[in-house]
Amino acid sequence: MKIETVELSKTYGATKAVDGVSLSLEGDVQVLAMIGPSGSGKSTFLRLIGGLEVPTTGIVKIDGQPLPSEEAGLREVRRGNGFLFQSFNLFPHLTALENIVLPLAEVYGRSRAQATERAEEVVERFRLTDHVRKQPGQLSGGQQQRIALARAMAHDPALLLLDEPTSALDPEMKAEVLDLIAELCESGQQIILSTHEMGFAKGSADHVVFLAEGRCIEDAPSKDLFESPATETVSCFLEKVMKW
Amino acid sequence: MKLFISLTVSILLGATFCFVFWVVASHEYQWSAIAPYWRNFLNGWSTTLLISAGALVLSIVIGALLTAGQLLPHRIPRLLSRTFIEIIRGTPLLTQILIGYYLIADTIGWDSRFGVGLVILSCFSAAYLAEIFRGGIESIPKSQWLSAKAIGFSEFQTYRHVIIPQAIRRVLPASAGQFANLIKDSSLLFVISVHEFTMQARETNANTYATFESYLPLILGYFILTFPISVLSRALEKHFAYEN
Repeated sequence: MKIETVELSKTYGATKAVDGVSLSLEGDVQVLAMIGPSGSGKSTFLRLIGGLEVPTTGIVKIDGQPLPSEEAGLREVRRGNGFLFQSFNLFPHLTALENIVLPLAEVYGRSRAQATERAEEVVERFRLTDHVRKQPGQLSGGQQQRIALARAMAHDPALLLLDEPTSALDPEMKAEVLDLIAELCESGQQIILSTHEMGFAKGSADHVVFLAEGRCIEDAPSKDLFESPATETVSCFLEKVMKW
Repeated sequence: MKLFISLTVSILLGATFCFVFWVVASHEYQWSAIAPYWRNFLNGWSTTLLISAGALVLSIVIGALLTAGQLLPHRIPRLLSRTFIEIIRGTPLLTQILIGYYLIADTIGWDSRFGVGLVILSCFSAAYLAEIFRGGIESIPKSQWLSAKAIGFSEFQTYRHVIIPQAIRRVLPASAGQFANLIKDSSLLFVISVHEFTMQARETNANTYATFESYLPLILGYFILTFPISVLSRALEKHFAYEN
């Protein structure tokens, strides 16, 4: 992936969620992880890159093209991406399968039959076939998140953005979702994720960005950042979270 | 504690039902006095049925427009919708009917009591429905909007596929109550001499002086109209049910 941000900022009222982040990623980065303490601006940064939020100041460039600032253009960007949220955000009034079929049919213009066929294919790949007739409320958190991932994936997005995909899950469910994300990483899918799972970031990401208080403190290839962090802030943070 | 409340409610309501039924049933009625007027009652009841059914449909349409007016990002339709709703809800239906028929309809040269009555009743009910609809739409969590946005839905698609289907379920009970009110409120149309159900009872009473015999049929007549709405609403609630 080729991503560049120039002095990117986003403020909500008096809060600076993202504060002047300039970042340049070239070529061989396929999986990018964003780590850092809670409230460091990871989610906001992800949403800015995904075209879900408009920056207050600064620019995001993807493959050399600056993101548009008007709604219609941003919608096109979002349609090319897949997005997964911490809290699943499935549509509770639809069955799991319909959750995947609806965007395929309505956004990507596939016929109902084609959309259903494609949804069933993804669901089978994610080993969820037994659960597709249920509504989200009848599924476990892990199952819901896997369905949400299937929905984000079904249209073969160029870029998959995952916002703390396992933070709301208990350990066993975390593992089943992380397994799935690891599989996607191996299949060559371009992914940007924010996460508190340091083991996962270390093992699966090519490159890691460390954010704190809306600023980019350090960005480096995954191996370098975890084994020899360049800044005091990052080494303190890693020491703390890796302790147990 | 629950058992105590349950017992208290059962005893209080049970006793009230029995007492009221006994009082009403033990009164001596002269049904023969109103027997010759049965055709008037039937005509009045049909008028009430027709005007209520028409106003029910029209009030949903006007109510939906007023809701849209309030949710639009433009100030003028928002202000006008709010003003309409506040005036209608804050003033007596009786005066609205008088002004609507004798001043407004007269000025534009519309002389159908039935038609004018239907429109006024619809406007009145629509103001209440608009508030119910708006409440339902605003009660859908922001995360659903975000999720729909991430999928690439336009605002229209979000309303159509995500927000409205979920809001329908939430507004059903309150809307059913409003529809029952609409049916009963149609009795006020006597002030412009619409020969609806209650008007027929008043006229029968004036002719026979058999007050209870003239008015008691209203109980059954209105209940036959309102009860199916209640049943239908519950059935629809079940149909649109989902676990949260």
